[in-house]
Formats: sequence, C-alpha cells, structure tokens
Amino acid sequence: MRLKVLVVEDDLINAEILRDIIDGLGYDVEVAHDGAEAVERFRSWLPNLVIMDIKMPVMDGIEATRRIRALGQSHWVPIIYHTSLDMTDEIVSGLNAGADDYLLKPTPPDLIRAKISSYERVLEMQRSVRSQTSELSAWRDMAEQQNRLSQHVVSRLLDAEGLRDSLLEWMNTPADNFSGDLVCAIRGPADMLYLMLADAAGHGLSAALSALPMTQVFYGMAGKGFPIHTIAEELNRKLKCFLPIERFVAAGLAAIDTRNQTIEIWNGGIPDILFLSGDCTIAMRWPSRHPPLGILPPAAFNSSTEQVNYQQAGELFICSDGIIEAENASGARMNQLMVEKLLCSAPPGQRMATLQMALQRHLDGDKNPDDLSCILARVPIERRQDIRPANRPETHGAKDFSDWRLGLTWGLSELRNLDIVPAVLGFMNQIPSLKAHSGNLYLILAELFNNALDHGLLNLDSQLKNEDDGFERYLSEREQRMDALTEGQIDMRFHLHRADGQPALDICITDSGLGFDYEQINLLDDIESGLPEFHGRGIMLVKRLCSELVYTGRGNVVNARYSL
Amino acid sequence: MVIQPLINEGTARLSLAGRFDFHSHRDFRAAYEGPLNDATVQTIVIDFMQVEYLDSSALGMLLLLKEKAESRGKKVRLANLNGSVKQVLEIANFGKLFTIE
Repeated sequence: MRLKVLVVEDDLINAEILRDIIDGLGYDVEVAHDGAEAVERFRSWLPNLVIMDIKMPVMDGIEATRRIRALGQSHWVPIIYHTSLDMTDEIVSGLNAGADDYLLKPTPPDLIRAKISSYERVLEMQRSVRSQTSELSAWRDMAEQQNRLSQHVVSRLLDAEGLRDSLLEWMNTPADNFSGDLVCAIRGPADMLYLMLADAAGHGLSAALSALPMTQVFYGMAGKGFPIHTIAEELNRKLKCFLPIERFVAAGLAAIDTRNQTIEIWNGGIPDILFLSGDCTIAMRWPSRHPPLGILPPAAFNSSTEQVNYQQAGELFICSDGIIEAENASGARMNQLMVEKLLCSAPPGQRMATLQMALQRHLDGDKNPDDLSCILARVPIERRQDIRPANRPETHGAKDFSDWRLGLTWGLSELRNLDIVPAVLGFMNQIPSLKAHSGNLYLILAELFNNALDHGLLNLDSQLKNEDDGFERYLSEREQRMDALTEGQIDMRFHLHRADGQPALDICITDSGLGFDYEQINLLDDIESGLPEFHGRGIMLVKRLCSELVYTGRGNVVNARYSL
Repeated sequence: MVIQPLINEGTARLSLAGRFDFHSHRDFRAAYEGPLNDATVQTIVIDFMQVEYLDSSALGMLLLLKEKAESRGKKVRLANLNGSVKQVLEIANFGKLFTIE
C-alpha cells in the first residue's frame, strides 16, 4: 500500500530528515510546521498516517490530535508522536486525546522505518476488510432485490381459484421468506374436491423451488378428472427426474367425492390425515404408507391409495410436520397427540381457529423453525337435491361445427392400465362446442363407462356397496375380477351432429359382457318412483342430463343423446 | 455432530451422536468417505443410538450415501433407531428404502 504520511514538525532539519526517510520507503510525504497547519493538511490531503511533534508554535500536537479526531474519519488514521522523553505527561494526554503511539527523540532512522512499516501492515488489513465489507453490502442489496421479485412471482404461481372454495380453510406460514410447503385445491369435473398438501425437504427458496412444478401437474390432471394414484405417479416421475438425490417432497393427496360419499387418499411422508366427525372424535385416519415423492424410480413407485365410504359428515384434516412439531424458543415441542386433542376439543367450524390460537400461544411470538401448513376441508353429506344437475351451460361456436364421428375400442390392457374417462374427456375438451359441457359430459361418460366395466364385464352387483363394509369389499372384489379377466372390450362411439336442428352429441357404449335386464332402467322416469339404487344414483343423474338414454342389445349397449 | 467410525470384517459402523441436521453435512460426508472408498468394506451401518434429533436434510444425506454406496456395490443399513428418530424414519417409510437393524 502506498502510504500518504503527514509529518508535523516545527524544526526544519528534523522535518527534512523524516521526509527523506519516508521518501526512501517509497511513500508520499507532506510536511506541516504547526498544529493548525496539520489539521488543515489532514482535512485537505487525507493522509493514512501522521507523525506528529508535540511541542509546536500556534497549536501543539495534543490540541491538533483532538481536532483531527473531531473531524470524524470513517476509517482509522494512526497518529504517532515524535517527541522527547521529558514530555511523558504530554504523551499521556495526547494518547488519551486519541493518538496511538509515540517515538522518542532522537529516534534511529531504522526504528522509524520499522515503525512505519508495521503500521502499514495493519492499514493494509484495514483496507482489505473495508473492501470486503462493501462487496458484501452490494451482494446483500442484490439478494434482497431478487428476493422481492421471487416472492412476487411465487405468490402468483401458487394462488389458485380452488383455494377459495367455501368448504376449505387452510394456512401456510413460512419459516422464512418462502414456504417449502404447498397447499393446493381444485374441483374436478364431477365436482370432486381434490386436495394436495406437500412438504419439500428443507425450507426457504430452494425448498419452494422443489415443490413448484407440482402445481402444474396437480391442477392440470385433477382438472381433467384423473384419479389421484395417477397424479401421484406423475408427480413422483417429474420430481425424481429433476430433483437431486438428497431432495424429495413429502405429500398427501385427497379426493373427496361428495356424490358417492367416498374419500380416497395417498399419503407419502406427511403426518396422519384425519377425518374428524361431528361428535368430535377421529373417525378415520390415513397414516403415511409410502416414502415421499421424488425418491423411488417410476418402476418401484407404489401409487396405491386407500379409499373409504363415509356415512356421516365431518372434516378432513391434512397437515405438514411443521405444525405437529412446532417448537418455541425454549425448545418445547408439540406432538401428534396434542394436535389431535386440540382438534377434537373444538366443534366443527371452530377447529381451525382453535388450532391457530393454540399455535400462537405455544410459539408466543417466537418464529417457528419450520413452515406451518394445514388444510381443513368440510365433508358434507349431500341430500337428494344434489341429483338436479347444474344450469345447462351455453354452447359456443355451435353455429360452425361440422358433423363428425369418433370410435374408440378399449381392450383389456387399456381397461386395466389407462384412465380412460379423463383421457377421452381430454380429447373432448379440445372441441370448443363441447368444452363448455365438460362437467356434464364427464358425469355421463364416467357413469356409463363404469357401468359397462363394473356390471357389464365384471358382473359386479352394486347392491354390495350398500352393506356394511360393502364399499371396501366391492373395491377388493372389483380388483380381483379385473385381474382374473381373460377377455373383454368396451367400444365407445361418438357422433356430433344436428338432430332436429338442435346440436347434439350421441354417445354409444358397448361392452362385450353378458348384459342385464334393462327394461326397468329404460322405463325409469322419476327418482321418487321407488325403484331403488339398481345402478346407483348415478344413472338417475345421467337420465336427467341426457335428452335420451336407452339400453338395447342384451343390455350391453347404451345410447345416450346429450343436447348441446 | 460427533461420528465414531469402526471398521470390522467388511462392515464399517458409523455411530452418530447429537443432532443430525443440515449443519452435519460436512462431518457426515467426511466420515463415510473413507469406508466408501475402502475396497474391503461391503456394508456401511449407520448407528443412531445417540442421535437425539433428525430432520429432512439428514434423510437427504442418507439417500445420497445410499446412492453412492450402491454405485460401488456396497450396502447401507440403519441401526438402533429410537424415539423421535424412529418416528421420523417411519413416517417417511424409509424401511422401504433401507434395511433396518
């Protein structure tokens, strides 16, 4: 470092000697001959080091020191007195006034050189630290700016219409700026409520980034009515693909079908998902059965879900481990039992508030080390009014569509492995005149196709569903029969055209099964007519939605006409 | 986190103590580096007896170790799970990914 040394010395010869020495060291030197000049030179020349005599006319070294220090430099400039031994009291006063060191006259030139060099090393270190500090400041400003932008973008990406559903209460509080937890909700085509709560390993921006791509997959597939096991598979595949080995995302997926009164759940790595009944007990629970998403390769991934039929209204509670393990500054942690007791202690409608208050009390103003998130979904029992379909949507582009036909034949392999209804619906959604009717078409297609498969090919009796435990037995029986099938196919034919001037979609589904006695269905006009759930309430709804619904053949062919 | 390695007849046993979280990254890696590159070692056992706390970054580190070990033809086992450590590993169903003693 090339120092600027200010020499303050009234004796001209001494001043020149010092000037020579400092010159010889390769530094810049200026000389002031009294204290007042020293202060002035200090202010204008900004030296790095001052060598000051004490006894001088006009203003002495001590007063000069005081005034120099009063200028308030942002960095330290050492002041070294160069004076004689009999000035000890003055040296002490000067050091107290802010000087740093002293040399006693006469000082051998070598000592002066050594002293100056020693201070040069310290000044160099100071310079280096100041430069690092200013670099750090610049980085911090840049980071804060990036943070603000990221928060803006992320909050837009995570916002979704589905989260404003009247049946939902939820919270997602980040530990820092970004939550690594994800809360998603959407109504699928048949009014099925899809929920997802995900907890990416770690927290902060990197965790949030890990979870982000899940939203596209979830909303896209749930919106088309794909079952949650397929969604789980796709989520796992995607996350496995781009997350590093040590990162993963624990998640819980739920599909609540209020029409059929079923709840289906996939839980990989989050705490028990609970069904809280009206009488404040935990009527059902779904513990984590799988490793988190993004760990297993697709071939080893297990997408199996647990599906139950619920008989009473209640609330579904899903949360991440942040809530269960909420820890305050003194290290006291909550646990699963405490959270369950809290939830059960409150009546329906007040559980979320109760939980949030308890968390607040527990944390008592401290920041929780983990992200806190949970969903509380009301699960109602819907009455018969539900059967009446929603208002018929307007058909767009009805004037210029052309007459077309589509035929699809599904063999055993597809029937076993493909999600056929969402796939066909996906195609239908591409056609403008049909897209608006997506919801109704899904209901019709799902009902007719499931009947063709369950009753036509598999010969299952839906009466089984009405018995105790019947639902679970029905599902298990269905799986067995599906595995045992050696032949079978289902045909679908679609014809979009004008029928009597009115645009309509004709759907014809044929299964290769034995058929059934269909007379009763064809004659069925009215829900109240007393004919019980022959094929379930679903077929009633389809009858209502379609202008025509007829079974023919040996009962293995169904024709429906849906007016657009 | 304190780690005591012990190699005996083809098995390297790493006994962990204290908190196993994202601060433990360097210690853990330094501890398993040796056994990983040791041709005589076929199995690496992670002993959790003295571990009082485990978080998701620890799970991530175990996954990373597993991957590295398997690419060298070695196995990883987890031993002496207790209390909250056991709970965390159970919820994550790590029993489906690792052999547990």
